[in-house]
Amino acid sequence: MAEKFDNLEEHLEKFEENIRQLGIIVSDFQPSSQAVLNQKLNFMISGLQDIEKCRQQLHEINVPLEVFEYIDQGRNPQLYTKECLERALARNEQVKGKIDTMTKFKSLLISELSKVFPEEMSKYKAIRSEDAPS
Amino acid sequence: MTEMFSNLFGQTEAQGPPGSSSLAFGPGKPPPPMPQNQVPMAGQMPPQLGDEGPVLRKPGVMNEPFYLLRELPVGNELTGNTNLITHYNLEHSYNKSCGKKVKEKLSSFLPDLPGMIDCPGTQDGSSLRSLIDKPPVCGNSFSPLTGALLTGFRLHTGPLPEQYRLMHIQPPKKKSKHKHKHNRPQDPLPQETPSDSDPKKKKKKRDDDPDRKKKKKDKKKKKNRHSPDHPGLTGSQPNSNSLR
Repeated sequence: MAEKFDNLEEHLEKFEENIRQLGIIVSDFQPSSQAVLNQKLNFMISGLQDIEKCRQQLHEINVPLEVFEYIDQGRNPQLYTKECLERALARNEQVKGKIDTMTKFKSLLISELSKVFPEEMSKYKAIRSEDAPS
Repeated sequence: MTEMFSNLFGQTEAQGPPGSSSLAFGPGKPPPPMPQNQVPMAGQMPPQLGDEGPVLRKPGVMNEPFYLLRELPVGNELTGNTNLITHYNLEHSYNKSCGKKVKEKLSSFLPDLPGMIDCPGTQDGSSLRSLIDKPPVCGNSFSPLTGALLTGFRLHTGPLPEQYRLMHIQPPKKKSKHKHKHNRPQDPLPQETPSDSDPKKKKKKRDDDPDRKKKKKDKKKKKNRHSPDHPGLTGSQPNSNSLR
């Protein structure tokens, strides 16, 4: 899996470097630079062909749309991963808190019900003790 | 919440409101005719209905006076009670992402990318969202430019107009800050060093400037009065340098 990404990354970096060099040539153009410019333009096309080839290898990759929003806003996409993990942990803690609270509530309810309905609750406890894993 | 409750107390949410005839039977099944004034009991249910589903407890005399008593949830079921990040061996990813401070800007993630990439993509129409909303025409193969086609790329000599030079503008790097940090240990006044990073304190310093000027003036006066070689002023100069 990592090879696919490395391959794409390599092609993208080459493409980006070529574009950067193109930009430099164009920013202060000299008549002697025309041949180099033509060469760079064809490099750009071959770079696009290489990236196009990588597309077939990456069909199964799913990218969350929220990551695109981060990039569009000029934010570091690693922040998305960070926030996702933090959210997951926070939600995990919330659910754990609810479960703990409900467990406490159960024991409290049983003790209170035992006071009001002692016979029924002793029967209930007897049934549950059978169910309880040894 | 109610689901938790029902799980804890051996009942599920699939049940209807109490009192309805469907309570005693599996959901989705029509209830068989029942004589009036008879409370539905698990012991009175047909055995095939009582055995239906993994949740409902087996009917029997033992369950009386309770009906609809469900089996307790299985203890080893994966819930939010366990730390799921640890369970799925994601501690390394968590520590990697959340342990250190991640820089906010996109340029810190792609430091080698030229141009102003920290600006919102919507400003110059380079957003990825626009690629999704209006996908480009695909399917045409890329073919190299021949001699005749390359004539269209003959450029005029000379520099580009100012507005098209954005590509070479890099976001400001914070190397100068590092330099300051290196200089700090050499600073003769150690109490000044931690305040450099705090913008509020910086502001305070600037606000204090008139006071310092007054002090300087006083020192100058003292110098004139007592000795001309008084080192008081030289000691304050590194402070002003550290502010720059």
